[in-house]
Amino acid sequence: MTIDNKKGWISWFNPIKYGSDRWMYSLHRLTGIALGLYLIAHVFETSNILKGPLTWNNVMIFLDYPFGVHFGPEILSLILIAAVYHALNGIRLTITENGLMLPKPYRPEYPYKPRSLKGLNNFLKILLGIFMIIISVFGIIYIFTGWLP
Amino acid sequence: MRESKVMFLQYMTGLLILVFGSFHVLLISFLAPTPDKILYQYANIAGGHTLIGGTLFYSTVKAVYSNLLWGSFFELLLTFLIYHIFNGFRIILSEQFPGSKSEKVITYSMLIIGLIIYIYGSRTIVLMLTGGGL
Repeated sequence: MTIDNKKGWISWFNPIKYGSDRWMYSLHRLTGIALGLYLIAHVFETSNILKGPLTWNNVMIFLDYPFGVHFGPEILSLILIAAVYHALNGIRLTITENGLMLPKPYRPEYPYKPRSLKGLNNFLKILLGIFMIIISVFGIIYIFTGWLP
Repeated sequence: MRESKVMFLQYMTGLLILVFGSFHVLLISFLAPTPDKILYQYANIAGGHTLIGGTLFYSTVKAVYSNLLWGSFFELLLTFLIYHIFNGFRIILSEQFPGSKSEKVITYSMLIIGLIIYIYGSRTIVLMLTGGGL
């Protein structure tokens, strides 16, 4: 059976009536695609180690100074933020989508707001935000300065 | 394989990537086998950049790649990543182009592309472990 998916990926960006869960879903997909493409590039980039020190070091310099501009740390920071978001949101999804720690069964009452999207889910979202800020800040400081706590 | 099993593996590989990926990040920061643990160390030469040290310097990276423990670690991380990423792509594409025919095309395409990249990545790891590189 074929079912039309008329809106497709454009609907990822329609948060009306859906709220923050929808935005987090869209971001999870976008960061997933970006990180997936990064891994493919990373596999090909690291294979240059087989070509010897001159090629490898030149590739590393190119990644730090793409086309002569020192833009490597900014790119690395974006990858870090995407990875941290995808990982932390992935933990939240593993917990909530698998029905772990669901609230006790309750009688559905108008306006039928699902409790599974409140409580623990909201708590996990706040935790995600806090950890994301901490890890990203320390990571970006390390990328730009080499400072480790 | 049943979709529920495929998704269970998607969650499990996600968690394993989190553990292994964290060690991969630690390897280029806290566990970096260099004294100052910075990524790039350049020589002060006017008109260009010459890499002379740092975690991403050739000999440092080669030493890590030649280590059996880190090599096996990279191979496992690559395995989990390839499954997680290409199954993720399959899910996104299947939702974008629904239907049993397109799903088959998408599944086999992802399987083939994933396998090619897996073999290519494994080739680097195995060759480095067996004394590859110049």
